Amino acid sequence: MRVNDSLIGAVLLVGAIAMFAYARTLPALPGQEYGAAVFPMLIALGLGGCGLVLLASGVRHWEGAVTWNTWARSHHAWAKLATVFALILAYILAAQVVGFVVTSILILLVFLIVMGVRWWVAASVALAATLLIQQTFAGLLRVPLPLGLFGLG
Amino acid sequence: MNAIETALGLVFQPSVLVTILIAALFGLVVGAIPGLTATMAIALLVPVTFFMDPVPAVGAMVTCSAMAIFAGDIPGTLLRIPGTPASAAYTDEAYAMTRNGEGEIALGANLLFSALGGLFGTFVLIVAAPALAEVALRFSSFEYFWLALLGLTCAVFVGTSSQVRGLLSLFLGLFVSTIGLDNPAGVPRFTFGNTELTGGVNFIAAMIGLFAVSEVFRFVIAPKGQAVPQEVMGNLFRGWGRMATHYWRQQLRGNIVGTAIGILPGSGADIAAWVSYALSKKMSRTPDRFGKGHVEGIIESTSANNAALAGAWVPALVFGIPGDSITAIVIGVLYLKNMNPGPTIFMNNPEYIYAVFIIFILANIVMVPLGWAAIKAARVILLIPREILMPCILMFCIVGAFAINNSAFGVAVMLVFGVLGFLMEENDIPVAPCILGIVLGPMLEENFVTSMIKSDGSFVAFFERPISGALGVATVLVWVVPLLRAFRRSPKARRVVPGS
Repeated sequence: MRVNDSLIGAVLLVGAIAMFAYARTLPALPGQEYGAAVFPMLIALGLGGCGLVLLASGVRHWEGAVTWNTWARSHHAWAKLATVFALILAYILAAQVVGFVVTSILILLVFLIVMGVRWWVAASVALAATLLIQQTFAGLLRVPLPLGLFGLG
Repeated sequence: MNAIETALGLVFQPSVLVTILIAALFGLVVGAIPGLTATMAIALLVPVTFFMDPVPAVGAMVTCSAMAIFAGDIPGTLLRIPGTPASAAYTDEAYAMTRNGEGEIALGANLLFSALGGLFGTFVLIVAAPALAEVALRFSSFEYFWLALLGLTCAVFVGTSSQVRGLLSLFLGLFVSTIGLDNPAGVPRFTFGNTELTGGVNFIAAMIGLFAVSEVFRFVIAPKGQAVPQEVMGNLFRGWGRMATHYWRQQLRGNIVGTAIGILPGSGADIAAWVSYALSKKMSRTPDRFGKGHVEGIIESTSANNAALAGAWVPALVFGIPGDSITAIVIGVLYLKNMNPGPTIFMNNPEYIYAVFIIFILANIVMVPLGWAAIKAARVILLIPREILMPCILMFCIVGAFAINNSAFGVAVMLVFGVLGFLMEENDIPVAPCILGIVLGPMLEENFVTSMIKSDGSFVAFFERPISGALGVATVLVWVVPLLRAFRRSPKARRVVPGS
């Protein structure tokens, strides 16, 4: 999935202008001319410059807004991408509630089955990997992995 | 002498040695699996080292990266797929040797000259770093500003094929580094009232996203099927003596070029291997044999990529300027471990520096037996089903990003950067300048603002001190020369276009 340079450039340019405007409001050091604003403003100028160059080159080589390569034409690939994204999101939302162990087993199970692994292999890998990670991080490294509201983790 | 004894005591402890051994095995496996890079190995290792003492943490990273760079040669030779980008330069050559039935010679050469190249780079590191540190003690904010800028500039102009895309990636990284409270005025920037963001974007989570999660995304859209590796039987040590005596010039040149490219900020093992392979072909008496399974170019470039790895530590330890994306990550970890890189670490904590040197030597020595074992086990490693491996890696990433602050916010940062890294790679925007920008941004800003305040806003002061002036001119040249070349080329290009 290749986005045309002019679109990337346009997004950058808008972002850079917003960034510059925001950075101008940042205060300087008391009694000095230079402070928190200088550096972000310079970066905004740089980003804006890159945006302009990409915008110009993208317009010259316009082949449609997005060039779809082989994978991007397949619904399966998009579905798998969305699954991985959703699984990470699920951890962020659910881990505190249901605990690490349950979340991890479910995430692994779904991911493995989506990748076409047989269910009993998927189940044993999900269990084994969760145990290993739990033992390494919670046991060995003493990371307080979320236990969940029911204390299952 | 006392510091060296202390350092030996720090390294030769059972727990440290076991950590190094595990990191070595981890590096070998990750490096040998195509699609998993040496940088990814380090990214996955960081959350674990986060909880260790400084010496085992750094030891694990040194060993892991050295092993991963070597192990990248294994699938290159057996499958014609480089395990890490640093092996890509001579993958065709090594595979051709396998096809000619000389796979064990190619792998043997990779093993021997990787280890020797690593030792050479380490030797330069040991000699050059303390000497440079003496000079660096006299540096002020002006010199550090130029050094940081030179490092970032090289990353864009040397390390990438399209400068605009490299710059874009760099500015994104610099932007990310400005988020939070850590700035000269101590005001919240780009936090939009979010308390988690006031601490800044955690660089470990960002890096796990950029280098590991993006690979998981890329994996799920890749076509299915896993190649079956060629079998290599026979004695790996065959021809070691002959190769070492016959090709000593190539080896030495690879070592020197590799170390030099490693020291140059912003360019690392992959560029070293490409440059050395091209140089080897150019200087060879039999350039026509290159590409058909000739060991000469392999020796030179496999020496170079491992030498570059150690070379990259010179600017990292002395100035806090990363030589490549691996040392960019390492520098972030050094700060977390209160081993702030810079010339003063050579005076205040020399035992840590010696410990790093000892670990480098140790890693390159154990590379020979462990590498041998990895080559023998290569078929098993390469047949691990990727469908099972990748979900486990994703889970590991999630826990790693969570563990840094024990908060789901780290996982969210990782997800954002995973998507960003995926989109960047899809559009040929290099990721390495971005991570360098995140790591070097605060240093660049602090030294810039301090210098501007010292000089009352005069840019001339940036060139007044001799070393600062020289660094400044060098940086400006790196910017100006490609522009001049582009200008000189453009009239010709314009003339060609209408006719074509």
